[in-house]
Amino acid sequence: MATQSPTREEDLVNKLKARFPDAIKDSKIEGKHRITIHFDKDKLLEIARYMRDELGFDHVKGVAGVDDPTHKKIEVLYFTGSFSRPEIEDLIVVLQAELPRDNPTIASAVSVWESTHFHERETFEMFGVKFEGHPDLRKLLTLDNWEGPPPMLKDIKFPEMGQR
Amino acid sequence: MTTNPDQTKPTAPPIAITAAKEPSTLDVSVGPQHPGSGHLRMLMRVDGDYIVSVDPDIGYVHRGCEKIAEYRTAVSNIPHLERPCIIDAIHLNWGYVLPIEELQGIVVPPRGQYISTIAAEMNRIMSHLYWLAINAGVFSGHTTIFMYAFGDRDLFIELAEMLTGARLTYSFLPPGGPRRDLPAEFQDRLLKLLDYFERRLVEYDRIFFSNPLVIARAKGIGTLKRDEAIKLGMTGPVLRGSGVKYDVRKVEPYGAYADLDFEIPVFEEGDSYARFLVRFEEMKQSIKIIRQALEKMPKGPIARKAPLIIPEGEAIGRVESSRGELTYMVKGDNSDKPSRVKIMNGSFRSLIALPYLIRNVHVADMPIIYGSLDYWPVEADR
Repeated sequence: MATQSPTREEDLVNKLKARFPDAIKDSKIEGKHRITIHFDKDKLLEIARYMRDELGFDHVKGVAGVDDPTHKKIEVLYFTGSFSRPEIEDLIVVLQAELPRDNPTIASAVSVWESTHFHERETFEMFGVKFEGHPDLRKLLTLDNWEGPPPMLKDIKFPEMGQR
Repeated sequence: MTTNPDQTKPTAPPIAITAAKEPSTLDVSVGPQHPGSGHLRMLMRVDGDYIVSVDPDIGYVHRGCEKIAEYRTAVSNIPHLERPCIIDAIHLNWGYVLPIEELQGIVVPPRGQYISTIAAEMNRIMSHLYWLAINAGVFSGHTTIFMYAFGDRDLFIELAEMLTGARLTYSFLPPGGPRRDLPAEFQDRLLKLLDYFERRLVEYDRIFFSNPLVIARAKGIGTLKRDEAIKLGMTGPVLRGSGVKYDVRKVEPYGAYADLDFEIPVFEEGDSYARFLVRFEEMKQSIKIIRQALEKMPKGPIARKAPLIIPEGEAIGRVESSRGELTYMVKGDNSDKPSRVKIMNGSFRSLIALPYLIRNVHVADMPIIYGSLDYWPVEADR
């Protein structure tokens, strides 16, 4: 039986793996439109530049933090997509990096994807992730007099809203 | 506790505006009083009648929606998560439910998909009428269109109430499908309303969109070129007003959109007037979609019973809301509450356009540009 030719998604993942054999730790293709790439956080800018210039992922829809206190890590997710290439415009490729919870630091992707500007500011504020090289890393949403740890961390609990 | 409180301290002074302060410049705080669409403050640096730069200061209506969502059950999150943009509640509801249905492996029956699509397109018309009344009409000093659009919007609201039981915050789409089938006489009343509304759109064109005063104020103002719109990650009518044909309803069809025939209005100019026209044309397309959906509506069940828990895993769902692509990431951990909900909406994505577009323009052009973005502060703040 002849082997099947790789699908568009597999092809994309293979390209990334061939280019960054060490930095891409894991990948997952979910359904027809979603790819998740786990990568080494130090290689963010190289991967981002490659994805923008070679693969055509020209914008970021959002940057999310996910707190995981049991594994002592904070995940940062970049939801990337493409407007300019019709053949991949339905894909959302999630770039996912794990940061240590005691010092979450990652390079800022603003120099590659300008669209991450406010999303990184929000993730900085809500999860305390420091985006190194961000041109304007300030608080955005919370009150000026908000003191204390970043509010979206799981340490911050609101017992009055029900146990979690 | 491994977090460092210092991380949240501002790293720059509270008022930091990108352009340099000169002897001739003056800093003006605009807002945060309700400018017709929610609370937003803009720190403007002006030089005479020109805006040199603007620093959007948002968060006046931030409620921590994503945090609160972690405390509520999957179903009780529905009324909660549609609050950020109550004039577009169906889309905020639908976008949240799609990833949950994906994790649960639930497929909504075809009739349910059609009813959701009709409700969503009615909501798009209502939201665009609100934009036309306030963000386009009032902000450009055109009070006649405010009266027209608000009056007509109420007719749609009455029908939405007939369908869902609520005027604005419907909570109509729990996981599994819509709550109700179309009521008796609903179809006839909706078709009658669409006929009426189609005639009104001709009048809207005459008194507003072809009005030389509106054209003089909006044309060529706040131009966002195609490559800039892509680079900044704009979405929705703002993106399509800059010549990018991108609409989730076509790119990744959900609901009944794959079966329906409609166009995606695109304008190449990228100015405020082009964004006005995109929404005007979208209302016409919504009429077309609703008529087709009513005609093609299959018989059968409207919804399936969905479990109350969210299985382990994460899923991403997206819909084309009135303000553009609305993406939800929902992470479940086999309990009835999501462990993380991330909302990526059109308003927060168009926030970066404020400092980008409101620059080197007259102070009087600021409301036009702001209105043309259809920025909804509550949705952006969450």
